[in-house]
Amino acid sequence: MPDPVLQVEDLSISFTTGETTFDVVRDLSVTLDGGRTLAVVGESGSGKTITGRAIMRLLPRGAGARGRIVVAGRDMLAADERELRRARGADVAMVFQDSMSALSPYLDIGAHIAQAVRLHDPSVSRRAARARGVEMLERVGIPEPADAVRRFPHEFSGGMRQRAVIAMALVNRPALLIADEPTTALDVTVQAQILALLRELQQEYGMAMLLISHDFGVVASAADDVLVLYAGREAEYGSLRDVFEAPAHPYTAGLRAATPRLDARLDTGGERTRLRAIPGAPTSLRDAGPGCAFAPRCGLAGQVGERCVVEVPLRSRRTSGTTGGAHRAACHLDRLPSSGEIAR
Amino acid sequence: MTAPILEMTDVSKRFRTPGGFGRRRHGLLAVDGVSLRVERGEALGLVGESGSGKSTLARMANGLVTPTAGIVRTDGQDVAALGRRGLRRLRRNVAMVFQDPLASLNPRQTVRQTLENVYRAHGETTSTAELVALLESVGLGPDYLGRYPHQASGGQLQRVAVARALALKPDLIIADEPTSALDVSVRAQILNLLADLQRDQGISFLHVSHDLAVIRLYSDRVAVMQRGRIVETGPSEEIFRAPQHPCTQALVEATPEAELPT
Repeated sequence: MPDPVLQVEDLSISFTTGETTFDVVRDLSVTLDGGRTLAVVGESGSGKTITGRAIMRLLPRGAGARGRIVVAGRDMLAADERELRRARGADVAMVFQDSMSALSPYLDIGAHIAQAVRLHDPSVSRRAARARGVEMLERVGIPEPADAVRRFPHEFSGGMRQRAVIAMALVNRPALLIADEPTTALDVTVQAQILALLRELQQEYGMAMLLISHDFGVVASAADDVLVLYAGREAEYGSLRDVFEAPAHPYTAGLRAATPRLDARLDTGGERTRLRAIPGAPTSLRDAGPGCAFAPRCGLAGQVGERCVVEVPLRSRRTSGTTGGAHRAACHLDRLPSSGEIAR
Repeated sequence: MTAPILEMTDVSKRFRTPGGFGRRRHGLLAVDGVSLRVERGEALGLVGESGSGKSTLARMANGLVTPTAGIVRTDGQDVAALGRRGLRRLRRNVAMVFQDPLASLNPRQTVRQTLENVYRAHGETTSTAELVALLESVGLGPDYLGRYPHQASGGQLQRVAVARALALKPDLIIADEPTSALDVSVRAQILNLLADLQRDQGISFLHVSHDLAVIRLYSDRVAVMQRGRIVETGPSEEIFRAPQHPCTQALVEATPEAELPT
């Protein structure tokens, strides 16, 4: 077995403002193999975006990470600036939600890609780097690539711009791509195209993908495995099928029930169905109490009793019949929640 | 036979685009000859991709945008013929809820001030008891009266925005992507709240959204927009079971299902 492309062990991320330091992510551990996609699902305050940035070592000022992050054999938290420059782009690259802010308005698309090429291999001539740009744009499905390299970011539509950013991110064939809500700003038809493109390129390059998303529809169509975060901690981890069909954490089950589905139960006989909403609002690790962060919103906390509010639940294995992979949840409930009991 | 709460006949809107040096002014035809009705008590869902003109159409319904051509009638009255007083009455009857509650509430006003201003703008006074009841109807406790927008979460703020829309007992609420900016777990709360208002208070809704799954669940009828025109309209279940127009088919096809193939 080859080593996984991404190994995260006991990752905690903290912010320091003035005198106070507080954690926003605590004790995350996850591994990801080449060719596979791990979806990180969460809401505001869940820590999903900051985790992606920590893997790139692109944390904002005042933030620090503890634990271990290994990308393609390189210990990212121990690496110095020179090593990091080498790793970013070549080992791990990132695509963001807002493609406009990832591009310079003063450079044409070709210059962006050429820069990425020459940064990692200065021996490549300018001309050859531009040629790589044309090749890459063609690969990501931009029509008339030889002409498109000379165009500026504002001349592209949102979907085409996201394609260009993907070309830029993948030109050095990174082992890991972190895609942070890559299709959230796009129309659904364009979103479907971009997701299909990412899947295709992933198969071709054999890269691992960390897909950060809040959208179960996107997750269902793109992920192999799913990591659900709540208030900076792992709530549940497992294969897509296990997490979707046998959610072990009441939060995951609640999210599933609160997501409207287009063709589900079409035969309601004209009768409108309602979604089962989760009461309250998502919280952050900083504002969470001593117990399970989800307990105040959980319909099952009453059944388990006081433990939920005084003791942080540990990750534990869940038996599941559908796939052989690991399925774990951080919940005191020792059985799967049934769909009828998730909402209060 | 009562008039529909909203009736738009052959409505168009052309925006002037800035003409540059050597460029002709063409103008952008955002809405192109649209006719649409919202019956009393009905929730009409308006879907379409970005730039299809759905928000412009929604804004014409309550007079925020003046149509270039066509007639907008609310409650049988021609909006263009209304004077200042008439427009004010229109805005009592037709309220609006926007996408981003933080942007649509004044950060320097408490919830109480925000709500009181609605009454004041229409020359009415209100009591604390009335405001408390109003907040209760959107599921918020009386303690919210003293809060500023930054002291509440996105979902709570959207409830405040709904309360503001409800203050003057409107007949029609236009909701433009009311849950797009909210967390998934909170989205359903707001959607259920809007559905309750329709059912219990008989309020009509024009619900604008890009999210087909939301529209399917919470609308009686659906209108699909593309490039300024309505290309398909019909009962919600029918539209999604058997979409007829290629645009609707493409939207339905592209919407990712939060469901696995069995």
